Amino acid sequence: MRAPSEVLAAPPATSEARRLFSLSAPHAPSVHLFQTEQGHHLLVVNGSRLFDVDAEVFESLDRARLARDEASLQRQLEELGVSEAPFIDDQPVESPPVRALSLAVAQKCNLGCTYCYAQQGDFGGPARNMPLRTALDSVELLLRDVGQGERVNLSFLGGEPLFNRSVIRAATQRAQELARARGVSLTLSLTTNGTLLNAEDADFLEEHGFAVTVSLDGLQETHDRLRAFKGGQGSFARVMENVAPLLSRQRRMQVSARVTVTPRNLALRETLDAFVDMGFHSVGFSPMLSSPTGRDEMGHAELELMLEQMVACGREFERRLIAGQRYPFSNMVNAMREIHKGTHRPYPCGAGAGYFGVSASGELAACHRFVGDEEGAMGDVATGVDRTRQARWLTERHVHRQEPCRSCWARYMCSGGCHHEVIQRGRPACDYIRGWLHYCLEAYSRLSQARPDYFGLTPAAG
Amino acid sequence: MKKLDPKNLSAQLRYRAAGNPPGTLPSSAISNCFPGLEFDFRNVWRRIFVGITLHEADNYVLDAEPRFKHLVGHRLLRVDGQPLVVPVMGPQRPGADPIQLTSSANPEGVTFMEWSNALAELLQTKAGKKVRCEFTVKESPLPAALPTDKKPLLVEELELRPFFAKGEQGPLAVIAEELAEPGELTQGLCSPWQNDYRECACYYWAASRPDYVNVEQGPQGTSVGINWLQKDRGPEAPQQYVLDNREDTRLVSYDDLFRHWQESLHFQVEGHDQDVVTLPEGGPPDARSK
Repeated sequence: MRAPSEVLAAPPATSEARRLFSLSAPHAPSVHLFQTEQGHHLLVVNGSRLFDVDAEVFESLDRARLARDEASLQRQLEELGVSEAPFIDDQPVESPPVRALSLAVAQKCNLGCTYCYAQQGDFGGPARNMPLRTALDSVELLLRDVGQGERVNLSFLGGEPLFNRSVIRAATQRAQELARARGVSLTLSLTTNGTLLNAEDADFLEEHGFAVTVSLDGLQETHDRLRAFKGGQGSFARVMENVAPLLSRQRRMQVSARVTVTPRNLALRETLDAFVDMGFHSVGFSPMLSSPTGRDEMGHAELELMLEQMVACGREFERRLIAGQRYPFSNMVNAMREIHKGTHRPYPCGAGAGYFGVSASGELAACHRFVGDEEGAMGDVATGVDRTRQARWLTERHVHRQEPCRSCWARYMCSGGCHHEVIQRGRPACDYIRGWLHYCLEAYSRLSQARPDYFGLTPAAG
Repeated sequence: MKKLDPKNLSAQLRYRAAGNPPGTLPSSAISNCFPGLEFDFRNVWRRIFVGITLHEADNYVLDAEPRFKHLVGHRLLRVDGQPLVVPVMGPQRPGADPIQLTSSANPEGVTFMEWSNALAELLQTKAGKKVRCEFTVKESPLPAALPTDKKPLLVEELELRPFFAKGEQGPLAVIAEELAEPGELTQGLCSPWQNDYRECACYYWAASRPDYVNVEQGPQGTSVGINWLQKDRGPEAPQQYVLDNREDTRLVSYDDLFRHWQESLHFQVEGHDQDVVTLPEGGPPDARSK
């Protein structure tokens, strides 16, 4: 692994990242302000409400914000008529029903990725497959209390789940039978390294309309460096050979690429364009913030490079959207959707709430990353969710209990970040996250003007 | 430019324009408690099937495009195998089973199940697709039951329109434009001033008015007063309370309110009629009102 200093030997320009770090710094917990070619914009943190404001209002709010004068900010929001009772209170969500499960059907893997949260697939224990009984019990748990018309998701992860194909098929079939009988809408997903996919898998995944996520860390040379077989040889050629037939067969099935970004694969734009051209349904990036060995984790310098690249990809997304072209950069697609809705939530994901990971031996964990980890233990499929542990988890993980989140303007969009990464490593990426969100807010202001139809809006009159 | 312009959905949903009362927000609007007072969304069912126009609260075909003209006057009995009418059963009496209630206006003793519930499941699974629609064979001015024998019905495959408008990222929270012409959602509404103001009883929102007025203490210590709608209310008029009855000519009628509510109604100050109301100093010069 190269040290960050080596990466920065000939430092690429990161002027955009630095601009965003500076503009997105946390000043006040109640508002965030930003400007674009379109004018002055105000994010009211309570409810993730976004407004265009005039220069006078902007400057007055900005003075109070930079002076950290919360009383003045509250008074001004009141005068503007946008002060509301808090949309998110301190109460943790209470005993939410199970609506999504991921089954670690195979706690083993043929790749030796150094950064893997599952420690090369076995989560630090003996390699094993999930017995059929455990998978069917999980399906029963998932569909036990679901009402007609509700939606549930069943996903298969590992390790490499395709080491246990027969159980995936049997669990899928049972889940579909139960869902059909109960009038429940079931979505299925599979996360795979792509090395074991075969033609029959393609038929099966297409037939059942799976959302397939393939882990790819870049083009051949880069991918092979990061995602090699345990014996050391690269996996890219094999993966692409296996995935190509799936890409051309996507009708009901959607095949996406997920890139884990480490200091060794920071060429995001090149990766994105290549995967989009190959026909992936979407391509998304996620920084490696916490690995069991500490290897390949991103530090501040690398996150700065990543932000620069993410924004370059985002700018391309803006250009292509305005030109009416497909460019499925999923980080951006998701950000635009959530900002448009004004999503505000006290938890970053459903982990430990409506979503659980199931280990090969049937223990429930707060999510797929907590399999085998006492920290996220939540009962087991036989006895159901341990409601006491769940209640403690939901109380402790509420964003109002997190620092330094409580004073950050991005707290209801980021919601404190991935529980697993935070518990393992803390919050090393706040500047990156805020910088990215700041850019996305800018992009939303531009795009909602340039392509209102994309958001279902009608063009502004006049 | 405006001082403040809400952009994303959460901002728009909560935004209260300067000067607007709280009731203009969806969360505090009157339609939250009394649906139908701001718009009558039943009108969207009129065009839920491409090609025909239905009654908003009945399975009767009012109109149709030329290709479906033969359906006008018929009744839609079943959609995608789901019945739209059910028998009306009579009261349960001890020792006897309820019977099907028939009348001259409803000889087959059936009732139509309103559209929202009847179509809810179909809208989720079949919106945008063609579905099998079964109509009465003959024109049916009166409610019609599903035939109990195997008699054929008039079958057409009609496209079911989606209820919600669609954006690039999926359904939006607004009703699809194709379902209602401008003005249709409000065309059948009551007017609070002209109707509900007279109609509604205590505690109902439109009835924030005194309904027992010119009240005095009587010789026995009980109260004596008149109905707020009594027309004859001068000093010589009998202090006798007239019970509300919309046909009683001693009371202000709906028609009076439609035509001249300003003259018919009185201000009440401290429980008594006031034809002249003195506004505080600084009020408008012509403060006389009735």
